[in-house]
Amino acid sequence: MSQTETVHDRIEQARTELTPTQIAVGLALAASLGFVLMFLQDPMVHDAMHTFRHGAGITCH
Amino acid sequence: MWPTLKRGVAAGGLVGVVYGLFTAVVVHPLTASLAEIAHHGGHGHDAGAHSHAVSETTTAVVSVGSGVLWGIFLGAALGLAYYFLEPAVPGSSATRPYVLAGAGFLTVSVGPWLALPPVAPGMEHQLAASTRLVLYAGLMLAGAVLAVLGTALYRRAGDRRRGVAAGLAPIVAAVAVVPLLTPTVVTAGGLSTDLVAAYRGLVVFGQAGLWFGLATAFRWLGPAPTNLDLTPHETQI
Ligand SMILES: [Zn+2]
Repeated sequence: MSQTETVHDRIEQARTELTPTQIAVGLALAASLGFVLMFLQDPMVHDAMHTFRHGAGITCH
Repeated sequence: MWPTLKRGVAAGGLVGVVYGLFTAVVVHPLTASLAEIAHHGGHGHDAGAHSHAVSETTTAVVSVGSGVLWGIFLGAALGLAYYFLEPAVPGSSATRPYVLAGAGFLTVSVGPWLALPPVAPGMEHQLAASTRLVLYAGLMLAGAVLAVLGTALYRRAGDRRRGVAAGLAPIVAAVAVVPLLTPTVVTAGGLSTDLVAAYRGLVVFGQAGLWFGLATAFRWLGPAPTNLDLTPHETQI
């Protein structure tokens, strides 16, 4: 609640609130969702997801 | 942290549904018909383009679903970034989500578009997918650097109006100049320049609108702004 909070304080706060497992699971979930949406190469993705990528301007596939 | 992250995910879910519908109703049909007009096979991965056996329902579900997931993904990113970076983001609690969403738009979309502009399927990329992957990541970093640079210049300028101008200057300059300097990496694949420009406009509109919606929903779902916000440098949790 301090009025001169810094980014560093927030990181420390998160580290006391979360266990390493929670951080790992969270990061893994986020990374896999991002990977499937943005990077997973085409033969494995549905046509409609392919056009979604074009529509979202994701040009790295 | 959980409340902020949950707020981001909720905002992402709300806006994602709207974006998903926009994808299914506007973007998907348009993208598909542009792919038809453009040279077949140009993009190298439309092997299934002719097999319209896939039911319309599946297509619609995947279309909406991808859009919703994209909204949730970006919303979660916005929530997390807000939690950690809020003390460093200029503005009041009412404007900070927008500043951060702008930074997200710069990082995820505008940065990569500086050299890899949006294309319709069928338009051919002259760079291999693996090269583009690396380039895309580098350009995301460039977009993030632009956002940080803009924030730093805003703070240095002192007063608010000059700060906004100073902060936006490098971003506007990059958007105006970099695309002219980088080589063209796509061939139109038989699409007219107007059609390509219109399609790009739609893509830019969709992503900008998505981020704007995320910031609006995120702010709306948060605590009501208080008088504390009238004085700068005060953060509330
Ligand atoms: Zn494609």
